[in-house]
Amino acid sequence: MTMDMVIGEARERLLAKAKKEGLATVGYDVLGSPLGPLWVAIGPKGVTTIHYGDEPSDSELRRLVRVYGPGVVPDPRRSSALARELEEYFNGTRREFDVDVDLSGLTPFQTKILTATAKIPFGAVSTYGAVAKRAGNAKASRAAGGALNQNPIPIVVPCHRVVGSNGSLVGYAGGLDVKRRLLAIEGADVARRH
Amino acid sequence: VTDALTFGQILERHERELFTYALRLSGQRADAEDLYQDTFLAAFRAWPPPRRGNERAWLYKIATNRAIDRERRARRIVANVDDLAIAAPERDDVTLADLAGAIETLPAGQRAAFVLRKVQGLAYAEVAVALECTEEAARARVSEALKKVKAAVA
Repeated sequence: MTMDMVIGEARERLLAKAKKEGLATVGYDVLGSPLGPLWVAIGPKGVTTIHYGDEPSDSELRRLVRVYGPGVVPDPRRSSALARELEEYFNGTRREFDVDVDLSGLTPFQTKILTATAKIPFGAVSTYGAVAKRAGNAKASRAAGGALNQNPIPIVVPCHRVVGSNGSLVGYAGGLDVKRRLLAIEGADVARRH
Repeated sequence: VTDALTFGQILERHERELFTYALRLSGQRADAEDLYQDTFLAAFRAWPPPRRGNERAWLYKIATNRAIDRERRARRIVANVDDLAIAAPERDDVTLADLAGAIETLPAGQRAAFVLRKVQGLAYAEVAVALECTEEAARARVSEALKKVKAAVA
């Protein structure tokens, strides 16, 4: 019996009790992926966060705490459906995600931009201007870029499908290389040009 | 290190150390698990940690108080050396036998002083926070405890 095993068991019992008392509201895990580790979190209404890397940013955590309190705890079981869907997506066997997404705690503008982005189909791309227009403000393409850069649920809310009006990739919170790879998985035309 | 924002952060930063402390105080894995659980549930309920940057000493204080409370109600405690070996002291000047001796001979408060300083390696300022006493009193308690332990295992 190693210390890790002993603590692992103790932690599981602790978190079960915390959950029963309503002290644990959001469960997180770190998933492996072809793009490297992904820190993911699931709240009462669905997926709240997919973060490139094995630790979330402070601003991500602050959003979760603002909406759901400090009860953000490790809970691999809670993210098993998301883990499965992501794996299928990366394998090329899934085109759409079925998990619920939870955009609580974002500004109304961010929510509109991300909701518009969520409607761009697999394999297609749109532009910052078009997304801004769909969100109700055609002139806000630069602000749309900012909102997409802060997308708390990349991949599932496919901000990688938004590119510049000249077809350039422009930017991506996970890095342009990741954006290129996601578009390549989807066979998007733009991927072949970059 | 920034202050913990979530229960998950405080767990990941401190649970290993606090579990080890619980085992070194109670001498039994099952009791250590209960103490670990009590400590973190109490911390979650009392959230947030009271002072910036001092969450570690705060957790030690909660654990120490809980351990003392539990022992007021419990039988005389016996160290299980197999359990304890999982958390064997990592310092040259304290052996597993010293720790087992401390568990079986010292009252809870004094044992906490010994383990905090001599096994966990906390600074006296942190020991004082955990024991809710002055640094001077913490030093006195540790030195008294150490004498008793050395006498017990001699």
